[in-house]
Amino acid sequence: MLLYFLDFVVFVGIFAIVALSLNLEFGFAGLANFGKVAFVLIGAYTYALLSQIGVPFYGCLIAGALISAIFGLLISLPALRLRADYLAISVLAFGEILRLIVKSETWIAEGDWGITVSPAISLTGAPPRIDALVNIGLVYSCLFICFLVVQLLTNSPYGRVMRAIREDEVAAEALGKDRAKYKAQALMLGSAMAGVAGGLYAQYLQCVLPGMFMPMITFTVWIMVLLGGPANNWGALLGAALVELFDRGANMAKDYLALPIDPSNLQYILFGALIIFVLLYRPQGLLKESPIKTKALEAVKYGRGAVKNKGS
Amino acid sequence: MSVNWAQVLFNSAITGSLYLIGAVGLTLTYGLSNFPNFAHAEFVTLGAFIGYFVAEQLGLGLPLALIVAFLVTGLVGFLCYRGIFQPLAKRGATIIHLMVASIALGFILRYSIGAAWTWKPLYFTATWSAFDIGPLRVTGLWLWLIFAAVALAVIMHLVLVKTKIGKAIRATSSNPELALASGINIDRVIWITWFVGAGLAAVAGIFRAADTQIWPMTGWDIILPIFAVAILGGIGNFYGAIAAAFIIGLAENIGVVGLIALGLSTTYRIGIAFVILIITLIVKPEGLAMLFRRA
Repeated sequence: MLLYFLDFVVFVGIFAIVALSLNLEFGFAGLANFGKVAFVLIGAYTYALLSQIGVPFYGCLIAGALISAIFGLLISLPALRLRADYLAISVLAFGEILRLIVKSETWIAEGDWGITVSPAISLTGAPPRIDALVNIGLVYSCLFICFLVVQLLTNSPYGRVMRAIREDEVAAEALGKDRAKYKAQALMLGSAMAGVAGGLYAQYLQCVLPGMFMPMITFTVWIMVLLGGPANNWGALLGAALVELFDRGANMAKDYLALPIDPSNLQYILFGALIIFVLLYRPQGLLKESPIKTKALEAVKYGRGAVKNKGS
Repeated sequence: MSVNWAQVLFNSAITGSLYLIGAVGLTLTYGLSNFPNFAHAEFVTLGAFIGYFVAEQLGLGLPLALIVAFLVTGLVGFLCYRGIFQPLAKRGATIIHLMVASIALGFILRYSIGAAWTWKPLYFTATWSAFDIGPLRVTGLWLWLIFAAVALAVIMHLVLVKTKIGKAIRATSSNPELALASGINIDRVIWITWFVGAGLAAVAGIFRAADTQIWPMTGWDIILPIFAVAILGGIGNFYGAIAAAFIIGLAENIGVVGLIALGLSTTYRIGIAFVILIITLIVKPEGLAMLFRRA
């Protein structure tokens, strides 16, 4: 039971990283990344392949983040200057194709059979619960770094430009902000974070196979962000915990309840219904977007003197 | 290896016909409601399963199955729009919200289908024996599919050009405010389009299922080419969609020949649609619509 709980905590941490990255892209920059799973996949496979040739785990994670970011930039380039739906379609398609490639090209990683991945930090002879605790330490330090980066970035003038582009692209462009540049940067950073999460995911489950990267993952992360509250980083964390809790609860209910519908089907039906319900009745999510915390805002609120005094 | 090019062309016509029937609803609703309905793939699947239910489980034959699937799926499409997307749009949902809602709807439909039937592949029992016409190897099903696509193209053309509702659809698609000001009931136009679009997706689903297999991912399996048709043809443009469907059908079938020659897996045929999609976005995001200005 304790082990099950620790496992839950690790999963929440990994998905919270992905949810944060989607929050950056969708919540703040207004980009519809419907192919989140593709970047998780890139991170996971990069980790798996590099760790096989003896690269230390931090090297694998960083490489996964970089390669993911590069792909994030490449795939978004054709669609960045177009409407949000073009980006959504092309990134969704990219995820499907990528899964097809790792499935068909068996020389990459054994196709459908997948390959095993060694854990990042392996303590010989340690009981599973120590392993889980080590993983919690690793995952949550990555999560902490990601959270710090996103939180600082979005509460800066840079984040204000992102929100401006989300609200009105043309107005932002008229003020001299290159929207394509900002969008590309948001996507690159988001993809890099998803890549890190993918690496953590691969080393925690100790395997990579195409079946782990179904579009359902993308959708789950979208529920986390929409439920928690878009453009609120705490909301992304809350959403990740709630959705994962719901997921576990449904899995447990499977064993104890006799339902007329197969619970694994029912779970996804409920997920879908939940998201439509949230969109209809609470589109701002559980936690609302908070006003940006920058000096400019303080200046407006308390007058110029306040900022100066604070600065000195 | 010698390639039977006549057969490749014929196969392209088959593939193109399937994509055309599947994509018409997507491109028209995309143009009218201004968002891509990802659940369109599930309309295809739902239609295939309703067809399977009528034709196999009730044993009433394929023609009736097509009609029932068209009507029931059309009704589902209409109800989905009326119950989910219209209220969302009225509440000022952004295009991203509408897209997410359509994906959510897709999951609801797909897993409901999985619960109602099964996740194991099913097959239509009606077998279509192959016969030769000249150098071509054909089956009756393929001929019916091509016939259906041609009939669809002709009927849709007549409807769009000659009838009141067709003109209303084109007017609403190009300028909703002006259409409203001219006394067109925009809501009704959109409802009819969603009904017909979903119904046609069902027809495509039955043809696809009868030709291959049927499972809850039947529609999702062809979502890439269907979206590629909608984008390449120009969103909301029916004539562009006809051209795009056959271009993509041709590219896929020639591509398969190329893949075999290169010794690559033919599962990449779906990747060809993706490549076309990306090239369209880079070169001409408005698609082939330019060629059909007056449409």
